[in-house]
Amino acid sequence: MRLFFILLKKEFRAFFLSPFGWLIMAFAALMQGLSLSTTMKGFMDLPRTESLVYVVFQAPTFWFYYLFLFPVLTMRLFSEETRSGTLEGLLTAPVKSWQVVLSKYFAAYFTYLLLWVPALIHFKLFTSFTDIPPPFSQAEIWTTMLILSLMGALFTALGCLASALTASQIIAGIVCISILLVHFLLGLVTYFYGDQIAAAPLFHFISSREHLELFSRGIIDSRPLVYYLVATGFVLILTHHVLDFRRWKP
Amino acid sequence: MIEIAGLTKRYGQNTAVDNISFQVGKGDVVGFLGPNGAGKSTTLKMLTGFLPPTSGAASVAGHDIFRESLEVRRHIGYMPENVPLYTEMRVKEYLRFRGALRGLRGRQLRSRMGDVMETAGLTHVRRKMIKTLSKGYRQRVGLADALIHEPDLLILDEPTNGLDPNQIRAIRSLIKELGKKHTILISTHILSEVEMTCNRVIIIDEGKVKAADTPQNLVHNMRQAGQISVELQAPAEAAQKALAGLQSVKKVTVEALEKGWHRFRVYVEPRTDTRLRISTMAADHQWPLRSLARREATLEQVFVELTRKD
Repeated sequence: MRLFFILLKKEFRAFFLSPFGWLIMAFAALMQGLSLSTTMKGFMDLPRTESLVYVVFQAPTFWFYYLFLFPVLTMRLFSEETRSGTLEGLLTAPVKSWQVVLSKYFAAYFTYLLLWVPALIHFKLFTSFTDIPPPFSQAEIWTTMLILSLMGALFTALGCLASALTASQIIAGIVCISILLVHFLLGLVTYFYGDQIAAAPLFHFISSREHLELFSRGIIDSRPLVYYLVATGFVLILTHHVLDFRRWKP
Repeated sequence: MIEIAGLTKRYGQNTAVDNISFQVGKGDVVGFLGPNGAGKSTTLKMLTGFLPPTSGAASVAGHDIFRESLEVRRHIGYMPENVPLYTEMRVKEYLRFRGALRGLRGRQLRSRMGDVMETAGLTHVRRKMIKTLSKGYRQRVGLADALIHEPDLLILDEPTNGLDPNQIRAIRSLIKELGKKHTILISTHILSEVEMTCNRVIIIDEGKVKAADTPQNLVHNMRQAGQISVELQAPAEAAQKALAGLQSVKKVTVEALEKGWHRFRVYVEPRTDTRLRISTMAADHQWPLRSLARREATLEQVFVELTRKD
């Protein structure tokens, strides 16, 4: 366990000892701020019954930047070390492969969670700087953060897998965004083809868009919870096997 | 310290290491030689647990490299080829991280860091980022990393690759110093390095062990070791015949020089000295003799002899 924390610390520092972590943080804060301010403008023009939180996270621009956070966060994790050869040094030290996988995963995941701190501050600022009662409840904010952290858990794991597959960061990034886009579009199938098709429940089950819609209304559904946790575990096990593959391939 | 039995590594159709076996005893400094692509690095990668063997077995300090990989890795200090390092870290940070991975902590870690930085001559650059260091210093960081947990066995994959002659000398004397305390396996294709630092040599080519002996024995057993060069002022054919008639001479070639002088190359059986017989023979025929020398073979010749493709 001690080794795991040593590795985690090293991976986490790698994000914030280079401009990389700060850049992506600034980008996320900027996009969150833009979403909030455009939504607020929209509220001025046209009063709505939904809460501010709900409308902010239903904006079409949200998915556009949200999905791109993951390839940027995860593409270098394994690829960079494979390319530069430092992976050899790491894996010939007395550490287990799962410690390496989990440390990289959690470093990326914690960084991802930090990206939502600006959003929380934005909503806090809204209540502090306006004299109107806030057009949202605290619960909505926290359930939204809950689903974002769950979706992030799976998407970060998929990014790790993509990075473990190749020595090229670019290819890792492209593979990651492709998987995420396909996953997202599968969730839209019922939107285009209706609920008549036999597989409709399946598409509803994995639709991240619908999960977010539900949770940003302040509703907690246990099915997405289970889905994201189980899928994350599965993808991480796959990543471990990809990393260990060179040890048992024929 | 190292026992290798029938170790084989195949990449698809391509056999990189083909059924090699050798032992390295405690305290040996072994030069692991071979041309590029001979399978040196692959063998080392298998020993350090980075790659699994296709078949065969090996153990380090009594632990099987596949089943007790972690235990093996604790005994090894490994410096991979081209010395990959985290370039965005400072020297001290890097060594602290690597030491912690090897289970060192607290005061022990600090004292080991101080020791290896001193040994590798890194103390004055300890606060520098690795990416700002020259190749020679990076090599030293790699060496300090391999030494930090006081391993029984040091495995160095081409430690002087890409260094200038001064840096090569510095690393070489460092290795010599380390050889007093550690068992060392150095892979290289720089032969002078092996002659100066190693007490045993293993030559591999195309995945097979071609020779394993002390550098002195290898050189003595060479064909060139039995080659004598003679310069006589004598009729070529008669002298050639006379030389060929001597005991333990295998073959004589001749080359004409100026004013009736000829240079004869006399190939004799290994481990014999025919020089005295030649000088007596020349005196008997009253042929003036101005040069008589045995060619000293070098490890380079041994290497070329064992690994050339023609």
